[in-house]
Amino acid sequence: MSTFYDHFERHGHGKGLADHTTHYCPGCGHGLAHRDLAAAIDELGVQDRTVLINPVGCSVFAYYYFDVGNTQAAHGRAPAVALGHKLSNPDSVVICYQGDGDLASIGLAETISAAQMGVPITVIFINNGIYGMTGGQMAPTSLIGQRTTTSPNGRHPWMGQPLRVAELIAELDGPVYVERVALYDAKQRFRARKAITKAIRMQVEGRGYAFVEVLSECPTHLKATAVSAEEWIRTQMEPIFPLGVKKDRVVEPWFKRPARSFDPETVLALCGAEPADNGDGGGRAPRHPLGARDRSVKLAGSGGDGAQTAGLLIARAAIAEGFDATHIPSYGPESRGGTSYADVHIADLEVFNPSASEPDILVAFNAPSLARFAPSVPEGGVILYDSTVIKEPGEMPYNRRILGVPFTGIAAGLQRPMVKNLAALGALQAATDLLPAPRFLETLREVLKDKPSTLPVNEAAFAAGQRAVAGMRG
Amino acid sequence: MVPAQQLPNPMPATARDRPFLEPAYCKGCLRCVEVCPKGCIAPGTAVFPGTGLIPVELRLDACNGCGLCIGACPEPFGLRPESEVAHAAEAYCLKDPTELFGEKVVDGPPSRDQPAEAIALEDCQALVIKGTYASAIGAVLAGCRHVFGYPITPSTEGAELMAKMLPKLGGAFVQAVSEVAAVNMMYGAGAAGLPSMTFTSSPGFSLMLEGISYMIGAEVPGVFVNIMRGGPGLGNIGPEQADIKLACRGLGHGNTHALVLAPSTPQEMLDLTMEAFALSFRYRNPVVVLGDGYLGQMTGAVRLPARMLRPGLPAWSVWGDRAHRTNLICSIYLAEEDLEAHNLRLEAKYAAIGADEQRADPYRCEDARVLVVACNTPARMAKGAVETAREQGIAAGLFRPVTIWPFPIDALKEALPHVDHLVVVEASPGQLEDEMRLALSHAGITPPPITSVRRLGGILPQQSEILAGIRETQEVRV
Repeated sequence: MSTFYDHFERHGHGKGLADHTTHYCPGCGHGLAHRDLAAAIDELGVQDRTVLINPVGCSVFAYYYFDVGNTQAAHGRAPAVALGHKLSNPDSVVICYQGDGDLASIGLAETISAAQMGVPITVIFINNGIYGMTGGQMAPTSLIGQRTTTSPNGRHPWMGQPLRVAELIAELDGPVYVERVALYDAKQRFRARKAITKAIRMQVEGRGYAFVEVLSECPTHLKATAVSAEEWIRTQMEPIFPLGVKKDRVVEPWFKRPARSFDPETVLALCGAEPADNGDGGGRAPRHPLGARDRSVKLAGSGGDGAQTAGLLIARAAIAEGFDATHIPSYGPESRGGTSYADVHIADLEVFNPSASEPDILVAFNAPSLARFAPSVPEGGVILYDSTVIKEPGEMPYNRRILGVPFTGIAAGLQRPMVKNLAALGALQAATDLLPAPRFLETLREVLKDKPSTLPVNEAAFAAGQRAVAGMRG
Repeated sequence: MVPAQQLPNPMPATARDRPFLEPAYCKGCLRCVEVCPKGCIAPGTAVFPGTGLIPVELRLDACNGCGLCIGACPEPFGLRPESEVAHAAEAYCLKDPTELFGEKVVDGPPSRDQPAEAIALEDCQALVIKGTYASAIGAVLAGCRHVFGYPITPSTEGAELMAKMLPKLGGAFVQAVSEVAAVNMMYGAGAAGLPSMTFTSSPGFSLMLEGISYMIGAEVPGVFVNIMRGGPGLGNIGPEQADIKLACRGLGHGNTHALVLAPSTPQEMLDLTMEAFALSFRYRNPVVVLGDGYLGQMTGAVRLPARMLRPGLPAWSVWGDRAHRTNLICSIYLAEEDLEAHNLRLEAKYAAIGADEQRADPYRCEDARVLVVACNTPARMAKGAVETAREQGIAAGLFRPVTIWPFPIDALKEALPHVDHLVVVEASPGQLEDEMRLALSHAGITPPPITSVRRLGGILPQQSEILAGIRETQEVRV
């Protein structure tokens, strides 16, 4: 009896009889299931490790009685709460105790997904075919024809047919053990205790998720005596909810979680952090002149043009140079193809407005992007476009430097269509001197340090882009 | 003690495995009567005064100790084997079960707070990462190893990075079946006393509100990074700030509040996420990090702190061991006076947060006559507009709330005496302004005229629009 408290101090502040009696109605199946659960925890010797997830429903107060760690969950969410507990402390023995409204109605999604995950938790499902705590409403497991306060003329099939949860759970791949038991006579009660014990053992041994459905009496809302409620379960419920083992997979213990790691080197490596440089630490070394307090660039094209990669390269290079910089992507709704715009800002000390609604420099990879954004480039700005795909740029604003560079042509010449963004970047560097070329190339080497074989072709594209612009000057 | 019903002693003192019953604990359901093969148990005839129920009567002359009646009794202290019961023969009146059933095995040592441990980090170069990544790294550095989430643009990259990092740190990222499940996994991890978090965006945050109310009610920590997008409904994935109302005034049902932090740079996404964990455990309350869609996606320079944390374990946690066995995490208080007392405790906590945790970043406020109020990315645009306004000879300043709840009214109050105009800049229909007005009203301050620059639908107020808003205040004065 040690898994029950000696005093039910949480029940009515332990005053009077509340100290030693449950809040359940006379003859309620919950009390029997509680005794089975307590006995199982005792038998397995896991009282100190047990965390009981209390549901919403009559058994919301299970924590009045069970001398184990207790967490009370929102309606239907017990399996999610249980997973939070189990993954936090894999050594704990986490038991969800839920009723039919909780488990099979509002919490069905959590029920199914937790079962399919198969993480070893134990779910005890009390199916009494009715809502107890709220006062006798129809449950997902109510029988066809059963009169409840919300099916006063009897449950009609269009109100939903009784849900056989044990069978549903057994169909899933996650669970290792699923059984439906009852409490209506001594034999069934013996089986129930055995099943609940086994379900917890499955968890203790790290074998997997186990589920026990218990057909349980609610004499109050069946408007019956305990004994006739037992009879009702046997004659009415059992034919719809057949008893027995629904799944019993032989599984070797597998659930073993590593300890949480707080090794600083591992953490820094995962963050992609590099040790600080000796000296400037990326700080206040002499910098390339920015030419203005804040410069903005918009790279606009379709997905696959590499606008985002090029934008990020500019931002990284600028930060390495000691500036502040930001990059913001903007995509169309498509996962592939579609529009793809990158806004980059570089500032001496701090980027204020990170969006490039009036970009000093526009790089357009296709005609629609050029047409859309060229008018937003202010006077004195620079517009670079891919002259391979845009044969006729159309009317362009005055007092802007407009340069058609064959990004795609350069990349095609290098047999690598992917590098047209580097050709664009080279052209941008040569046309604007936004950042020094060696800075771009150094950043490129850093970004590609895990793919060194692709470096030469990227460098070649960058150089070709630069040359193309230089040639125009000449 | 309620006197027990006087019955003739039915049990010989020497019997074993026969049933023993304290009539006060019997509800008279008669399950035992039905199951007894010897007919030893009969329905009672007298109402027990303490319960109004009729306990069964045991006449055990024919009892062979089969135990079936014990197995049929639903009450923990109902029918019990006599062998378990000390002094059964003398048990005529309701006694302390300790006396009746013997002393129980004592509990383990009481749980104590295990403090977090700071671990020094090597000095590193600035990372160039997007806001959601910065937030994820901040969480890892704060010791969070459990992340639960459901994919939603524009916050998903944070979850993706966690899915990559956490398995290598003995942690877990779980993609839940929904945001509803995700928040309840956080509730479980937080109840176990560990730091946990989620990345979400507006519609997902809506779904989590029920769980947040439970977390606040049960005083469970956890960090919610909400990268706000355009709403209502499905809206779009552009940046908005229209969840300010939800985060500050609408965290589910009941009397709820949580600290709401508003970063404005990728660096702050890291710093404030780390801070959020500390605050969440300090106050045993969820903390919301509220960013806008730009901030989630924006890449910038992010420096790592000098230290990371190995979290401890709070004394209150339901960890699942002997020391923490007596703990309970729940938000149900059935008795009205208990729930009222609980709410008053929460109120005191909210008041303490309000007094101690206001944060603001005032910029050029010392002599400002036009004070722009903005948070998140719009605060960056606002800063640019303030700079330009200053160049044009307007004494403008920026007041940037870093906590939106509590609103940093003390710092605002300091800046106000010389301010002629307040201009509230936001990507929402006035939710930030409402928070400010409410705080001003509670503080008994009559503010100068308030005008606004607002954009909606996934568009942020631009620097030029904010500058126009600042200039307008000057025209009004002339």
